[in-house]
Amino acid sequence: MIIVTGASRGLGKSITERLTDRGEKVIGLARSPDNLKVQSLKCDVSDYNSVKNAARDIKKLKTPIKAFINAAGIASMNMAITTDEFTVQKLIQTNLMGTIYCCQLFAPLMVRQKYGSIINFSTIAVALALKGESVYAASKAGVEVFSRTFAREMADFNIRVNCIAPGPISTDLLKGITDTQIKKIISNQIIQKQFQKSDVCDLVELLIDKKALSLSGQVLNIGGV
Amino acid sequence: MDIIEAKKIVEKAILSILTDNIKIKDDMHLVGSESLLDSMKLVELCVLLEELADENGFEFNWTSETAMSKSRGMFRSVATLTAEFARQSKAS
Repeated sequence: MIIVTGASRGLGKSITERLTDRGEKVIGLARSPDNLKVQSLKCDVSDYNSVKNAARDIKKLKTPIKAFINAAGIASMNMAITTDEFTVQKLIQTNLMGTIYCCQLFAPLMVRQKYGSIINFSTIAVALALKGESVYAASKAGVEVFSRTFAREMADFNIRVNCIAPGPISTDLLKGITDTQIKKIISNQIIQKQFQKSDVCDLVELLIDKKALSLSGQVLNIGGV
Repeated sequence: MDIIEAKKIVEKAILSILTDNIKIKDDMHLVGSESLLDSMKLVELCVLLEELADENGFEFNWTSETAMSKSRGMFRSVATLTAEFARQSKAS
């Protein structure tokens, strides 16, 4: 069984569809899971009790968890000094705290089985220190450091923790970014092309596969930096 | 669950995690430098106690603010963990 957060839209939705297509049993977590085509649970990752309830429900299934994919996230592209307090808190609460809550509460389910792959999501904006994304990048930088450290804490339990850092992939998170800005970001990547959701799904497939048993604590920047 | 039953469960859980066959004593530390368990085994114990609590119809919460405190936490000794396990079973 594979669990995907943020499964109702964006990358989470694409990942859920890809994994389902390859025959994996996927449980999607989302704030509004009603239209999901897979078994789903209502879960707001920014709310500790909501994540705790979801973990409790998953535990009752008594099914081994092959992977946990933390795809839920929000973005807000603004200069730090023009970002209001509510947005700052929401970005940190959803992106960073949400990832920490999910790892804290779902990893114990993998500890007993002594295997599993956890995939968190960062952004290329961290490595590139992209102007106009300071708060968003800060929330994701926290995810990167948390993931690298958590990987060490989980290594003894044969649980791998990695982070995927996409560039400008076409999702709702990209709303508000102009084509010029996108081109500028891409020009900073090693491979100067705009990657697609399918490229992210390919990496997810790799990270949950036995072929990636040697990878943990890594941040994989799509396109390279 | 009374304290005697809680003690049986907690001691059994600790023994199942330890590789050495030792006699469990009430005053044995579970956190800190003199701890019976390293950090990995402590995580295993938490997860195992959670499962055992499930089987006994209550939820075992080990994530309180003071849980890992050497001076105040439930893991400071086998006896304090036993008492907390029994307390949480009664409180549920």
